[in-house]
Amino acid sequence: MSLLSGIVRKLREDAENILLTPVETAREAKYTVEGVRRGEIPPSKPLKTLGATAGALVLVAGLMFPIYWILMAALSGSGGSIYSSGGLTLLPENPSLQPFIWVVGDLIVPAYAVSINIPLTDIAIAVNTPEIAFLDASDYGVERTSDFKHFFWNSLTVSIPTVIIAMCLIVPASYALSRREFIFRRKILFTYVLLTQVGGGLGIALLIGLYAVYVQVGLNNSKLALSVYYAATAVPFNTWLLKTYMDGIPVSYEEAAVVDGAPPWRVVTEVIIPLSAAGLATVFIFVFLTGWTEFVVAQTLLGTENYTLPVGLFSLVSEYSIPWARFSAFALTFAAPIMLVYLFAQRYIEGGLSFSGMEG
Amino acid sequence: MSTASRVVDRVEQIPFLDKRDASLLFVLPGLFVFSAFMLFPVLYLVGISFTNAEPANLFAGEGALAVLTFGDAMFVGLENYVAVLTDPTFWNSFGITWLFVGTSVTLKLVVSISIALIVTSERVRGKRVMRSLIILPMGLPAIFTITVWRGIFSSAEFGLANQVLRSLGMGTVSWLSERWMAFVAYNITEAWLAYPFMVIITVSALQDVPKELHEAAMVDGAGYFSRFFHVTLPSIKRPVLFASILTAAASFQQFLIPFVFNEGGPARQNELVVVYGYREAFSFAEYGEGAAISIVAVAFIAAFMWLNVKRGKLADGVSES
Repeated sequence: MSLLSGIVRKLREDAENILLTPVETAREAKYTVEGVRRGEIPPSKPLKTLGATAGALVLVAGLMFPIYWILMAALSGSGGSIYSSGGLTLLPENPSLQPFIWVVGDLIVPAYAVSINIPLTDIAIAVNTPEIAFLDASDYGVERTSDFKHFFWNSLTVSIPTVIIAMCLIVPASYALSRREFIFRRKILFTYVLLTQVGGGLGIALLIGLYAVYVQVGLNNSKLALSVYYAATAVPFNTWLLKTYMDGIPVSYEEAAVVDGAPPWRVVTEVIIPLSAAGLATVFIFVFLTGWTEFVVAQTLLGTENYTLPVGLFSLVSEYSIPWARFSAFALTFAAPIMLVYLFAQRYIEGGLSFSGMEG
Repeated sequence: MSTASRVVDRVEQIPFLDKRDASLLFVLPGLFVFSAFMLFPVLYLVGISFTNAEPANLFAGEGALAVLTFGDAMFVGLENYVAVLTDPTFWNSFGITWLFVGTSVTLKLVVSISIALIVTSERVRGKRVMRSLIILPMGLPAIFTITVWRGIFSSAEFGLANQVLRSLGMGTVSWLSERWMAFVAYNITEAWLAYPFMVIITVSALQDVPKELHEAAMVDGAGYFSRFFHVTLPSIKRPVLFASILTAAASFQQFLIPFVFNEGGPARQNELVVVYGYREAFSFAEYGEGAAISIVAVAFIAAFMWLNVKRGKLADGVSES
């Protein structure tokens, strides 16, 4: 649990930083103003800083504008127009959460009738569980809701087996590659690095072969077969990543454990695994997202009833007239959690993501 | 090398791990599963590319053994390759792919180096926050980003690109149904998709440039641009080259952008080579030709990567460790 406490500590540091930033900025501004007044700092300097910062802010705003636009389109009931009769509008005119309700749909646990017969007696207990409604879409004027929950379930049943299979393949391999010397070790590593670079496009190029094999064996439209495929494609990059992370763990810890008489499996379970927790978390997230966000293979192999979230999203946009608000809300509901996880991942698990391993 | 062997020396004294090559067993499962899903399709693809496979005959055979005989498809020799290599659509697709690699890599390099210079500039305040905001697109799933950009370039009502053009007082453009406009849209989207990665690498390279070099150049009276070209650029050349190799490979294999935008249209003019192979097989039911195209594409990806590994010395890390 040292990982969790580390995250909490970093979160606190971040919060302190954010809270203190305005104070620091004000202090600095005051200092500069006084310096200018006393003639110690030439007035052109703060002006340049101000201009450069403003320019950089405009640039950041411009780069982030597509994300803002999609958020605005989702919140405005009809569609995201930045251009109305009154000129540019950057805020939705009649903000409404209806599109999101359309996406999420009903959240109702239906009523079940449970009856239990107590053996050897004639007594039977019958219980009707009450219907629990968290959210009833029809209350908000949304009659037909999206298939989001259905897609979500499909994505989940694809991604979870992917993670389980891939972790079983990746963790032992990266340990061996990091700590042991054996034949073909370097050749395997070299292949993995090469394939890490080649990645996704190769998968699509090979898709014809994969599809033909799957159809002939009768595995197309099987979610489990798809997860095995995803796990296989995740192997090279993530093995390399975890191996690089494990390389950073000092060997002296293991030596100490060996000297103390620990058998090899205990060296692994009590030294290597706990120390590489951050790397494992990174790999876990990457593998999960492989299955969660992949589109082409899922669209080709799966039938309509098994579509995952990305395929569902695509089926919305490929319609001729795009239902803007609903499309945006769907896309955001799909992407926002990933974005948050990523933000945490890059900030708090950055140790696992060093590119240094690529260059030696 | 030394770290690994030291542990091995210690661990070897434990009888159970006497044979060092036993460690290969840890790696084999992953390698096996990976090969099963990569190597086998490659072989299968090579096989199909020599047959007249179509859905009708390929999936006609009975039982699992039909996999090995490609169903009822007939061997046609090099016919598919001849057909592909003499097809002007293939050469069009091939040309547009390389053009896309050239334009998009240039665009990505210019955009990312400018962004990196701005967010490392001494005059800008709040650089850390800006940097973490700017790399946000990296955390978004590609399919999300690309469908959103599809919406931006949509010619339907509320497409963002046309709204911006209109508010600037210009006419609207039907982005996805004109060849070169669609190509421009591909490039912009690709640049937005890939700049965070390039910016991360460039920023860390820029931070490693020794300050003394800049100060010395300033003392010698060098202006901003000559400092950029003679001090900054040579110092960041290696990491940026590394990043552009990777991003060029990504551009070459770009599938989602053309596919989601307009399926490589209008009229198959913008089909990048991977899209071309995919569509030939799945939209036009020509599995044999699709396989031949894919083989050509795979060969190019492999050659391209091999060349880049040699030039970019990507594998240095492996031989040293």
